Amino acid sequence: MLALPNLVAAQSMPYISRNVILLDPAHGGQDNGAAIGSQPEKNITLSLSDTLKSLLTARGFTVATTRDGDPPAGAPALTFDQRAGTANHLRPAACILLHVTSSGFGVHLVTSALDPSVSPYEPSVPQPWDTAQAFYIPQSRSLANDLGLALEHAKLPVVLLHAAVRPLDNLTCPALAVELAPLARSGQRPLPPSDSLYQQRLATALADALVAWRDENLPKPAPPAPKPAGVTP
Amino acid sequence: MIPRYQRILFYTLAVMTLLLAAFTIRERQKAQEHITAINSAMPYVAPVDAQTESVTLDLANDADGTILSALRDAALPKEPSLRAHALLERLFSEYNLPDSPHPLTTSPAVDDVFLLTPPVSPNAPADLPHGQLAVVNLRAAFADAHPSGVLVEVLTLQSIVGTLHANLPQIAQVRFLVDGQQRETLAGHADLTHAYPAVDTAATLLQPTHPIEHRQ
Repeated sequence: MLALPNLVAAQSMPYISRNVILLDPAHGGQDNGAAIGSQPEKNITLSLSDTLKSLLTARGFTVATTRDGDPPAGAPALTFDQRAGTANHLRPAACILLHVTSSGFGVHLVTSALDPSVSPYEPSVPQPWDTAQAFYIPQSRSLANDLGLALEHAKLPVVLLHAAVRPLDNLTCPALAVELAPLARSGQRPLPPSDSLYQQRLATALADALVAWRDENLPKPAPPAPKPAGVTP
Repeated sequence: MIPRYQRILFYTLAVMTLLLAAFTIRERQKAQEHITAINSAMPYVAPVDAQTESVTLDLANDADGTILSALRDAALPKEPSLRAHALLERLFSEYNLPDSPHPLTTSPAVDDVFLLTPPVSPNAPADLPHGQLAVVNLRAAFADAHPSGVLVEVLTLQSIVGTLHANLPQIAQVRFLVDGQQRETLAGHADLTHAYPAVDTAATLLQPTHPIEHRQ
């Protein structure tokens, strides 16, 4: 009987920077994304990214983002391939795509629908761009599960799903998309995803869960063994 | 003083005028009914060989992100492409209902459905799915008005794929076009650039499980 983390760690995988997290606030520029009330999705994902970035930085992570603002008017929007390229160059411990919607309720955690790779990782064999995520599917689903448990603990309803959402399939890191939907409340109107307290609650749960997941699945390398006493060169 | 014979003549002519008017109106009505009867007997559209039957629809629910199979009655033609088209129109009629748990207002959603049988190649990979490729050509008005979001878009696609799989098992893959063109996403999120395997999509969504459950 094996634990999932052991299964994940047992695979031969490329190097990962255990302290680096990549955040991808979806949309931007001419791509507004969904309309959430009077605000475009691109602004809310950026605000959520800023909140999560500050919490992760406070917990010792180095956080990179695919965008820190809106590109100037007329500048082309980031393509999916550019976002994946930025992420893959950093070799992060986790890549988190941030989305917001007005449909459904709670938090939707989306991992790639690709089948996990059955062949072991071989550095000399080039991997297809469209299925680059296949090597990381077990880690991505383990990450989504652990984040889901943390969100449920924070009283946020969670839906997990496997879906084809770009650029998830192109990422060479444990990756998932986090989509924030309105929060249903008994006897009251649902809390919109643009609510800053709702975003803070989500970001805090995610940041704490990422620390726990990293410590469990990506342990620190062991320090070098001390040299035996009495032996001198 | 009007003479008596003139009054009699006046009333007689008045009565005859009314009778003539009534006769004319009646004859006009009869002529209209006759023409309508002739037109009704003429065909307007090609006859459809469709019988009402029970079909399985994979219905999405935005609130909990689930897809549940449900039986509904639908008149489906025998020809497979027309059958697939009618099936999807029946599916979207459910989503047009005012209390639908996955509300989609734009109708019709599907322009055409084509069923293609790829040629069998001896050099084809062994894991290539065997069966027909269904090309679902969505209307641009439908895609443009579709609610934007990962879950809601994925549910629409999975609902289509699951419904086709449940009723037309010869379909192995489903590809989506919008107004005959390839489009990157449905409404900004769900990927439309690749073919979806035709599988049972009902109850494929998951809930997080505790680590002890993983280890079993």
